[in-house]
Amino acid sequence: MERRNEILNYIRNRPGVTFRELARELKLGIGDLQYHLGKLEKEGKVFSRKVGRRRYIFPAGFEEEAQRLLMAISTETRRKILLLLMEGEMNQGEIAEKLGVSQPTISYHMRELEKLGVVKAWREGKSVVYSINYNPETLVRLIREYRPGLWERLADSLIDLLAGIGEGE
Amino acid sequence: MEMFLNLATILLALALMGVSYLAYRKSHLRATLYLTLAFLLFAFKKVIEISAESRVIQYDIGFIVDTLEVLVLLLFFLALWKR
Repeated sequence: MERRNEILNYIRNRPGVTFRELARELKLGIGDLQYHLGKLEKEGKVFSRKVGRRRYIFPAGFEEEAQRLLMAISTETRRKILLLLMEGEMNQGEIAEKLGVSQPTISYHMRELEKLGVVKAWREGKSVVYSINYNPETLVRLIREYRPGLWERLADSLIDLLAGIGEGE
Repeated sequence: MEMFLNLATILLALALMGVSYLAYRKSHLRATLYLTLAFLLFAFKKVIEISAESRVIQYDIGFIVDTLEVLVLLLFFLALWKR
């Protein structure tokens, strides 16, 4: 029971932790951890979401936020944008230049990230400046563990391709 | 050889349909939905053509195939036009 509480506290302190990370950090065997997580899920204290090739574990009550966060990191360009914004606030032109992606593509992703509440935007003169609007530690942890499969990478390329079509700045 | 190429065409169309649908689920871009439908219809068209060639379908498929071709191209056009 003490072990289970330790796992629960760890998940509450680090929402979005992966199974692998949890096992490594708490020095637990796979079977042991699976047993305790199963119990915690049954009790409704934690839930998990599989994205890419990883399963992220969240504490109960985090459902809506988890959905938002996982949508925010679901494409490669968004993950790169978020990591870039952790270095400091930037406008769309700077982000596009640093990532080597077209402005319409960046514009589409910034709109989506803003809708998800993960970045905030404000106007400075003629340009719109963006900065991270979420706990960077959680974002970095989720992004670091993200492992997209081949199909996902192809889908990400298609999204960028289509997002870059037909929207002039 | 022809059968192999036909099969490869269907598999590629279905793979592209899967990629487009995954892109739709991630982005909700309408264009990705149009592409999903376009690739599905393309695979369907190919199945009909193969069925007719191997005499599984006995009647004239000309109109169906032509309609499907127009629909596929229309969906590609929509994907580019209405993101």
